[in-house]
Amino acid sequence: MLNILKKLAMAACVSLVAATAQAEPTKLGFIYPSPTGDVGWAKQLDLAREAVVKEFGDKVSTRVVENVAEGPDAGRVINQMISDGAKFVVLGSFGYFNDGLRLARQFPDVAFLHASGFKQSKNFGTFTARNYEGFYLAGMAGGMVTKSNTLGIVAAFAVPEVVAEVNAIALAVKKVNPDAKIKIVWVNTWFDPAKEQDAARALISQGADVLFSLHQDTPSVVNVGQAQKVFVVNTNSDMTSHGPDAVLASVTTDWAKYFVKEVGDKLADNFNGTDFRGGIADGTVKVVAWNKAISADQMAQIKQAEADLTSGKMHVFAGPLRDQSGTERVAEGANLPDPDIFAMNWLVEGLDGSLPK
Amino acid sequence: MTWLTFLISGTLLAATPLLIAALGEVVVEKSGVLNLSIEGMMSVGAVTAFIVVFETGNHWLALAAGGVAAIVLSVVFACVVLFALGNQVVSGLAVGLLGIGIAGLAGGSYENMTVAPMARLQIPFLSELPVIGPGLFNHPLPVYLAPLLAVVLWWALKYSKVGLVVRAVGESPESANAVGYNVVGIRFLAIMFGGFLAGVSGAFLCVASSTLWADGMVAGRGWIVIALVVFAMWRVERVVIGAYLFGAASIAELLVQSAGISVPSQLMTSIPYIVTIVAVSILSMDGKRVRLNAPVSLGRVYLGTH
Repeated sequence: MLNILKKLAMAACVSLVAATAQAEPTKLGFIYPSPTGDVGWAKQLDLAREAVVKEFGDKVSTRVVENVAEGPDAGRVINQMISDGAKFVVLGSFGYFNDGLRLARQFPDVAFLHASGFKQSKNFGTFTARNYEGFYLAGMAGGMVTKSNTLGIVAAFAVPEVVAEVNAIALAVKKVNPDAKIKIVWVNTWFDPAKEQDAARALISQGADVLFSLHQDTPSVVNVGQAQKVFVVNTNSDMTSHGPDAVLASVTTDWAKYFVKEVGDKLADNFNGTDFRGGIADGTVKVVAWNKAISADQMAQIKQAEADLTSGKMHVFAGPLRDQSGTERVAEGANLPDPDIFAMNWLVEGLDGSLPK
Repeated sequence: MTWLTFLISGTLLAATPLLIAALGEVVVEKSGVLNLSIEGMMSVGAVTAFIVVFETGNHWLALAAGGVAAIVLSVVFACVVLFALGNQVVSGLAVGLLGIGIAGLAGGSYENMTVAPMARLQIPFLSELPVIGPGLFNHPLPVYLAPLLAVVLWWALKYSKVGLVVRAVGESPESANAVGYNVVGIRFLAIMFGGFLAGVSGAFLCVASSTLWADGMVAGRGWIVIALVVFAMWRVERVVIGAYLFGAASIAELLVQSAGISVPSQLMTSIPYIVTIVAVSILSMDGKRVRLNAPVSLGRVYLGTH
């Protein structure tokens, strides 16, 4: 029943763009797990879709279905898109994996891009953001501006992506401010704005004056920061409009370049499913909306780190690194290899709080 | 803000929407109707309230509008179960999902928007007390109206004629009908009353507690409300205890984590549920009294006298 209702809601949201071309445009389908608000994950994907439309104009027509539940619903939506002629499908959530891969095998002439996936094939590419690099830079800012020397993290779930971000924040904070303490609350939900806000308030009551909102897709934590006059670093979109004083920085993802390249490859009949991991260097991860509270001096340090990340001179998880139990995880002179970053299940030394097991 | 202040204020804010909706559900269930559509009614109330605040800036109007919007949905539910004699469980689920869907659709263009918070009550002297002042006496007015409403409802269900009639209809609709009460009409009003409070509850969550709208933001609270009512054995005083206990436990969970105490967070996340279930079950251990409290005709279709 929920599915049927969501379908009804979706049907109303489906948008058909372009389609006035002389030649038959290539149809592109985009499926998002949440509604496209003015901020959030789906919004960032949709901005990239707009970039694709801008780049290729009449040669493509795009169709969006938002708020698609993971599971059977997704399978039906993808199937529908393909039977309507879509030749290129963007799966905006990890949970569309099974249906996506099955249909990719069934329709080898349709190209797929799958968010956060780990399995690729000729017509099935995956894309992941190295958000941890962005959070390293934002973490530096947090460590610099804190007055109480206490920073708080509101974290969704202890999946490797989020764990890597928590660790990156901790390493950055410790680097610029060794005395600072970092506290974490795992809310164990991807979506419960009221609970996220309570978690933020709990951290503030423990003295935190800088909060990191890890993968809250709504401005829930930003709102609390604005009301209680603490800084917030948020994920996905620039949320300054929701907290002009509160937003210390926003770690955003920009998929435009990647989508444009992949669609271009498809139009040239040259598509090949790859494992794309975009970070600071290629502009996929961008830290924007830096707060004025960061001094020019501090900003210069952050910009230097950004330049070093871009040039490859610096790696966020460079050794020596120890975990909370003191075991060495990365040796001096080595960097944590990619597979280990994207499977991170340990917290670095010096963090308060524990990892859900 | 100290952690103790936050424990008190967070508990009040988290418990208030649960309490408001649960009070409505007690009345509905006491009249013999199981309304499982609370989640949907809260969602409709939340989105309506958000739109009203966004457009007019008036929070009180928004709470009222949220309640009225949910009444409209509750009338749909009432028609299905009272006139079409639909199965209450299935109809409740269906209407609830309908509500969630409508809310998502209506709130589409307001997704992730923010409104100003509701004005907080400032009581001279009391609000200035250390710890307790900002914890207890610095909230929007509905936080205090909710327990007041609980007292009124407790009294009404126990002593007033209206309350006794509602309970009679829930215990034995045939007998109530035989002595001349309009069973369907009374249940209809009870459902509307429950719908109104569920709508106000969602409205409070949205515009007084969170100040933002996002599709799905009720996030399962409607189901907690139903569980609270059942575990509280349909007794208003226990619903009150359950709601505040659940609120306190859900805040304590976050406080323990943020204090850096090393406890598995999944366990902490489940603690509000465990604490509430255990506490209310202990209160309701006497099986005989449980049966006495449960509305006998709860969930049964009333065929009437035709």
